[in-house]
Amino acid sequence: MSNDMEIKDKPSVVKEKNTDEAVEAGLAKLTPERIKNTINQVLQKETGPRFKAYVETCMHCGLCAEACLYFLSNDRDPSYSPAGKVKQTIWEMLDKKGEVSIEFLRRAVHIAHTECNVCKRCSMYCPFGIDIAYLMLMVRRICHKLEITPLYIQDTVNSHSATMNQMWVKEDEWIDTLQWQEEDAREEFEDLRIPLDKEGADIMYSVIAPEPKFQAGLLYQAATIMHAAGISWTMPSSPGWDNSNMAMFTGDNEISGRIARAFYETAARLKVKKIVMGECGHAFRSTYDVGNRWIGWAMPPFEVVHALEFYHELLTSGRITIAEKFKKTVTLHDPCNVSRGRGLHDMAREVTNMLCESFIDMTPNREHNFCCGAGGGVINCGPPYKGERMINNKFKAEQLKATGAEVLIAPCHNCHSGLEDIVHHYDLNMEVKFLGDIIYETMEKKIYKPGD
Amino acid sequence: MEENKSFDWSTDLKEVPVREWEDRFTWVEEPYVSPDGETIASIVNVEEGVFTVCENGETWDKEYDKAWNLRPLPDGKFAACVSSDEEWTLSISGNEWENWFDFIWNLQVNQDGSSLSLAVQKDMEYGMAVNDKPWDQMYENINEMVLSDTGSSAAVVQVTSMVQADIEVFKNGIFSCAVNGKAIDKKFLNIWDISFDSAGKNVAYGVRLDRTKYSIAVNDTAWDKQFQSVWKPLFISGDESVIAPVKEGGKWMLYKDGQPFWNKRYNQIWHLVVSQKTGNIAAIASDKFGKWTIAENDVTWNMAADQMISDLVYSKDGSTLVAVLKDKGFWTLAVNQKKWNLGADKVFTPCVSSDGNIVSVVIERQGQYFLVVNNIVIPNGYDFMATPVISPDNTKILQKAVKDGVYQRLILSMDKIL
Ligand code: SF4
Ligand code: SF4
Ligand code: SF4
Repeated sequence: MSNDMEIKDKPSVVKEKNTDEAVEAGLAKLTPERIKNTINQVLQKETGPRFKAYVETCMHCGLCAEACLYFLSNDRDPSYSPAGKVKQTIWEMLDKKGEVSIEFLRRAVHIAHTECNVCKRCSMYCPFGIDIAYLMLMVRRICHKLEITPLYIQDTVNSHSATMNQMWVKEDEWIDTLQWQEEDAREEFEDLRIPLDKEGADIMYSVIAPEPKFQAGLLYQAATIMHAAGISWTMPSSPGWDNSNMAMFTGDNEISGRIARAFYETAARLKVKKIVMGECGHAFRSTYDVGNRWIGWAMPPFEVVHALEFYHELLTSGRITIAEKFKKTVTLHDPCNVSRGRGLHDMAREVTNMLCESFIDMTPNREHNFCCGAGGGVINCGPPYKGERMINNKFKAEQLKATGAEVLIAPCHNCHSGLEDIVHHYDLNMEVKFLGDIIYETMEKKIYKPGD
Repeated sequence: MEENKSFDWSTDLKEVPVREWEDRFTWVEEPYVSPDGETIASIVNVEEGVFTVCENGETWDKEYDKAWNLRPLPDGKFAACVSSDEEWTLSISGNEWENWFDFIWNLQVNQDGSSLSLAVQKDMEYGMAVNDKPWDQMYENINEMVLSDTGSSAAVVQVTSMVQADIEVFKNGIFSCAVNGKAIDKKFLNIWDISFDSAGKNVAYGVRLDRTKYSIAVNDTAWDKQFQSVWKPLFISGDESVIAPVKEGGKWMLYKDGQPFWNKRYNQIWHLVVSQKTGNIAAIASDKFGKWTIAENDVTWNMAADQMISDLVYSKDGSTLVAVLKDKGFWTLAVNQKKWNLGADKVFTPCVSSDGNIVSVVIERQGQYFLVVNNIVIPNGYDFMATPVISPDNTKILQKAVKDGVYQRLILSMDKIL
């Protein structure tokens, strides 16, 4: 990257590492006995051959370092390299047979929760495909059992456990929000509905809790798109509507599985054919890969498609037509969980090109794209860590700036929020949008009739 | 069901034209059919912001600003959540409850229809209302509402306030189980899956005691034993005992009253059902990762589904156990271990005769609904179908279907089908 692309006047490396009251309160309660027993229980009883192979195969060659946003954003400090993170956590835990200090654990929580997006980019650069993300999640599992998980992400898991959604959205609030969006959208289509609990609809549409909480307009847009496309769809009025899963990122596998069960049993209760999820990456990973498997579903029991696959289908089948393409120059951020995780990157480009006149790709891209820096629960650790996160995302900011695009499309909620932070912090002067925003802006507001 | 006896089993065909409703109203929502098949109803939009319900072409006397959650009741009437002037209540065929609320949801109806319950919110306080009677005590939040067959209500309620992201307060337990509005004097970190006993007096539920310890509680007392996770418990043996799937040492087992009950260890077991007649206990289970089956009295069926088993039901006499499952991309049923070959995109709620000899279900294939009886798919496709009813003497079946804009209540003779 050339020098003029570099971002000036911002701290260049993380100097102060923060902690929070939940981590500190948890650490204060720990005894050497509990630390040792918990670490050994997790490392001996909850890991399989895969874990052993990873730990034994690593050659400390450092090839993975170049892959990691944190390493690149912090002046190539080896403590931020993927193998460096393992060295400072799992290796020492194994080495010391679980007899590690409070100071060590304070650092381990910090690394596993705020210095790794579990984005799996490094696995592609490791000659042995060692899955560092998996090892970091193992550290988080230990932190969960020791009750030293960072405050804000723990609160979202608490919310999941009590309400089956991430943001303490009350059951009436959820339904009321949908009905309010439905009513507003009737300004555009007089007979538009957000059909609740419609048994036998073809599609269950599911979103993450920030939508009803803060971004109700996205529900409006989705309803408009569904209505115009003439889709047989429904949304559940009951818990099970939120497809997000922060428990997957704190190592609370039991709650993570409970969330996945509620989600799929809701689809079963509504007797739908498939599930369409909003633009969220980690939710896709949870329902498609992690949560379902913990429960015993080798594959998701329902066909689950990410919004961008669904949009692709609507646009190519002519169910949605574009009145006039989006004019501003756009670039596209590939969310790891749907790109590296699911291979939807080409489809994302096709959708972008169908919607926008001028698309500039970022480099690197597709499955090689860098994480937004927010994912894997990092942004969910909240305000105490935001300053560091911004520094850790410096390299991502440079990548974005180099595109010169006016609009940054991010088809993932986490990415979207994280990228907005980056754009503001580094004054990138870009607008961050979902694909749904652009479809809504550019589509013809007419109802699809077969044969048209 | 005994009440099926009073249904009209002798008139072969009754029809209600429904397409014309679309001309009368701005829009017509999805239809619901009464258990006896005599009435078809939909929420309809009369004009901007004006809703009512149309039953067999007749609208309710009342119109509302909003209406949703239309459901048929066992007595042939219909209930819907309705709103006027930003207040909500339940309307039963146009007759409203006396109590109005700021919001209502989660309509539940007990088996004989004598009790109807709602979750209610008024002035940001939460509770339930049964047959128009709100709980005496209201709470900060409510989840996991249940209604017993005797008309008792219970839910998880928040009994301690918590400011945003206060994980210390959460840790001390802020939830209790409230029965008929009265919170049991015992708080837990989490409470899920409340079950009533058959008398509607005692409750059992899953609890989380701290970050990693789970147990089962009966009324105010948790089992001594703690587990890695638990699923919904169930009262058995005339309410004497409580059983529940629990996870221990990485595997799932069935426990009874805090002690191991079944011997086998499963990858997964959940969704317990018990036959009141025989006392047999069955559960959806997985022996091998990714393979689903049924465990009955700790013996697994010689059958596997590779995607999901979503429902499980005993015939009244306990002789027949029916599972709804998805295998190799399609939905079907399994009846007493034998998988049917329905290849359906959707399978709806099965109807099982009291003696277990007849199992009927509605399925959807490529957008068309079909009636299935004992694994025979009746070839006529429909645009919509409601759950069928089998006559008490097993000789007839009541099909409720819509085709080409006409609702048909059709009595099919079993000997012509089988
Ligand atoms: S998973 Fe991503 S964030 Fe974590 S070490 Fe690897 S490249 Fe870095
Ligand atoms: S590239 Fe692979 S082998 Fe080399 S240090 Fe990284 S994890 Fe270890
Ligand atoms: S937030 Fe987006 S970019 Fe980051 S890990 Fe998740 S999907 Fe990847």
